Amino acid sequence: MPIALGSGPVQVPDDLRYSAEHEWARLQGETVRVGITDFAQDALGDVVFVQLPETGTHVDQGGLLGEVESTKSVSEIYAPVAGEVTAVNGALADAPELLNSDPYGEGWICELRVDDAGSVGGLLDAAGYSQLTTE
Amino acid sequence: MRHSPLEIQHRALGARLVPFGGWLMPLQYPGGTLVEHRACRGDVAVFDVSHLGTVRVEGPGAFDTLQQELSNDLRKVGPGRAQYTHLLDPADGSVVDDIIVWWVADDRFDVMPNASNTAPVRAAVGGRDTTAERAVLAVQGPGARRVVEAVAPAAAGVGRFSVAGFEFSGAPCTVAGTGYTGEDGVECAVPAEVAPRLWEAFVAAGAVPAGLGARDTLRLEAGLPLHGHELGPGVTPLQAGLGWVVGWDKGDFRGRGALEAEREAGVRRRLAGLVGDGRQPLREGAAVRRAGSPVGEVTSGNFSPVLERGIGMAFLDTDAGLAPGDGVSVELRGRALAARVTALPFVRRPGGGA
Repeated sequence: MPIALGSGPVQVPDDLRYSAEHEWARLQGETVRVGITDFAQDALGDVVFVQLPETGTHVDQGGLLGEVESTKSVSEIYAPVAGEVTAVNGALADAPELLNSDPYGEGWICELRVDDAGSVGGLLDAAGYSQLTTE
Repeated sequence: MRHSPLEIQHRALGARLVPFGGWLMPLQYPGGTLVEHRACRGDVAVFDVSHLGTVRVEGPGAFDTLQQELSNDLRKVGPGRAQYTHLLDPADGSVVDDIIVWWVADDRFDVMPNASNTAPVRAAVGGRDTTAERAVLAVQGPGARRVVEAVAPAAAGVGRFSVAGFEFSGAPCTVAGTGYTGEDGVECAVPAEVAPRLWEAFVAAGAVPAGLGARDTLRLEAGLPLHGHELGPGVTPLQAGLGWVVGWDKGDFRGRGALEAEREAGVRRRLAGLVGDGRQPLREGAAVRRAGSPVGEVTSGNFSPVLERGIGMAFLDTDAGLAPGDGVSVELRGRALAARVTALPFVRRPGGGA
């Protein structure tokens, strides 16, 4: 459900899963695409740099995937599920602002081949995440 | 928490308000910091800077008091002029606060310290704290004069670092050709009750509302120091490259002895600019290394919207002998980022000046 903040309603799409650290995950076969939520980008402000993970790296659930830097702060990105990085969004190198303008689309961060496809089901659903962000 | 007379206007615009120096002030409006930054560099932005303090010092002794307590020499200017100056700690010559003095009339000065330093400044120079009675609006950018001309024509012609009176909505106001962005522009001190009308008129005339986020990235690009970062306890004006703020020719003043000793011995560190190789912002507190050896520390850092690179100001050890163009590495959260030393400012407006 949308939440009214200073700069308009925050989007929480129903077809994604979410971590309590404000990452989203979209299961696509054996991989998940990962990004940060609309709530996260709104809180960060203008994103000016993204430190992407290297493909081939294995990360545990909750492990460090990278960093997002805005004009006001640095925020770490954690892996919502364990897996191996198979792709990163190279467009962010020159256009990190995609995280602000399209956090669930062009602003995706990386893809992971998940160790356990069932782990995605352990993440929050849209209702659970919405509740978290309004607490 | 203190509140600006313009808080209703900020909320109506959708501003994100944050505590700053004891005040609740806009960090940004919905367009965001980068949009506001570019508006100021490209045309015109308006900032609520009511959190700056105002201490009015007046009377026949005012001039002598300020000459004794503050570092710069008021004889370089005169009534109707503004001057950047420092209040120094007599123990070590470090900067208690950096201040703009508006010499409003012969025996009347408006001393404007940073938000959180009003008390120590007032303790040094006396006078009356008039902060709560007025708002200060900064109109900045190459289009600033156009916007001011449309709203308050009598204020539009004020020269750079000049001060003048004007009337708005029947109220007596003061304008100075000052700012903190590296652009042409003015700052208007107006009675709190007419401030909302003036703010709305500036916005209606095309000024983009801008918050503290853009104010910080703009001043950083312009190489302007911020107290608590490039100035503060342990930092002298000489280290910060602000020797011109010291009135050596005026006789004794607070902190002179300590500064003379430092000038004699030579400064051990000096403020410089660093430009990163990529977009990653340099950050305050990051260690600066040359060939593995520590040579300094970043005092302020961010992303430069104009250069599209990470930039920062840093104190570099004089002994390291670094010059513009030299390569260094900046340690950011365990990684070494390549950067080059550069002269300040990073961005200079086409008309010249900082």
